[in-house]
Amino acid sequence: MNNRYMILSMVVGFSVFLAGCASTPKDNQMVDEAKAAYEDIRTDPDVARSGDRQLRSARDQLARAERLLEEGASTAEIEHAAYLANRHAEIAREQAERAKLQQQINSAEERRKELELQARSAQAQAAQQEAAELRRQMEAMQAEQTDRGMVLTLGDVLFDLNRAELKPAGETTVGRLADFMAEYENRRVRVEGYTDSTGAESYNQQLSERRAEAVREALMDRGINRARIEVQGFGEQYPVATNETSAGRQQNRRVEIVISDADGNIKER
Amino acid sequence: MSNYMSILGAVGIAGIAVAITGCAGSVEPPTSQMRAAESSVQQAVSSDARNFEPVLLNQAQNKLADAEELIDDEMSEENYQRALHLLEQASVDAQLAGARAETAKARQAVEEINRNIESLRQRMNGSQ
Repeated sequence: MNNRYMILSMVVGFSVFLAGCASTPKDNQMVDEAKAAYEDIRTDPDVARSGDRQLRSARDQLARAERLLEEGASTAEIEHAAYLANRHAEIAREQAERAKLQQQINSAEERRKELELQARSAQAQAAQQEAAELRRQMEAMQAEQTDRGMVLTLGDVLFDLNRAELKPAGETTVGRLADFMAEYENRRVRVEGYTDSTGAESYNQQLSERRAEAVREALMDRGINRARIEVQGFGEQYPVATNETSAGRQQNRRVEIVISDADGNIKER
Repeated sequence: MSNYMSILGAVGIAGIAVAITGCAGSVEPPTSQMRAAESSVQQAVSSDARNFEPVLLNQAQNKLADAEELIDDEMSEENYQRALHLLEQASVDAQLAGARAETAKARQAVEEINRNIESLRQRMNGSQ
């Protein structure tokens, strides 16, 4: 007797339960889509590596959606679970993609560093070679290292007495300097003229300027831009030897060419 | 007979109760889901989703706002259920927006490094 009541009451309860929820057919497009999205990435090793948690959430939500569908739950409930499953699958896929890109970044970064190292050592080597070449050329021009930088001295013998025209020997030296400047495009020069103390000071000043100017013109004749050549006459100033002897005076009659540093800077006298 | 009826009545009520809990789920306010959705949105924003996935981020933020409104509005079972769904969806929307933003950034980074490598290589070839 009691058993019959029990069975009857269970039937009544269950039928209310079913009637309360059942309103959907056992097929739902969103669930199908979620299933497809999940199946699409389920065996992807990148997803397994980097999106595992989201993949599992996708699987769980998909299972829930399918169970709700099976149980005849409301469409809203089913599609909500399907929505979540779909999103989790999409997130898992993004995470896998992102991890793959990160690997690319890492290996590219390594490659970049390697190349940079190579470039730097190539640069250092080139700089070393350039410095050695520079030294060699300076030596060829008989330039001297001074506290103003490299200084090339054109002696009195390159000019005729009281004349500002370069003699052929002077042309050769200037030619070497022009070659040098053509090669080292950032280098500039200042051509400084000097005389001995014989004669009027203003005459000497002018002569020193004219001689310096003559050197500039010789350089420009060889294609060196005027902007790279400063000219200054110092007249009788800054003698390098005594003006009391003819040998000393000869040393004082000179043109000095100060070569700039690699950035084009020249120290003022 | 009255005994029979009362048992039947009690069972019927139990059935309805099962029906309600079976369909509707928790009655508790979805506080933890609210927090989860909020933090997902925040993370998406800090992943630059505003730049890379503005539409999806906006969608997440709208769902979050709608859920908040529902919760503030009326404490009904139905509202809570809808709020819960909105919050759960806001959460995954925001996570996807953030994930896509991260992928897009990574893609840009790859391009930039490759450009660097290319110009380095050209410079090296040029100097040789």
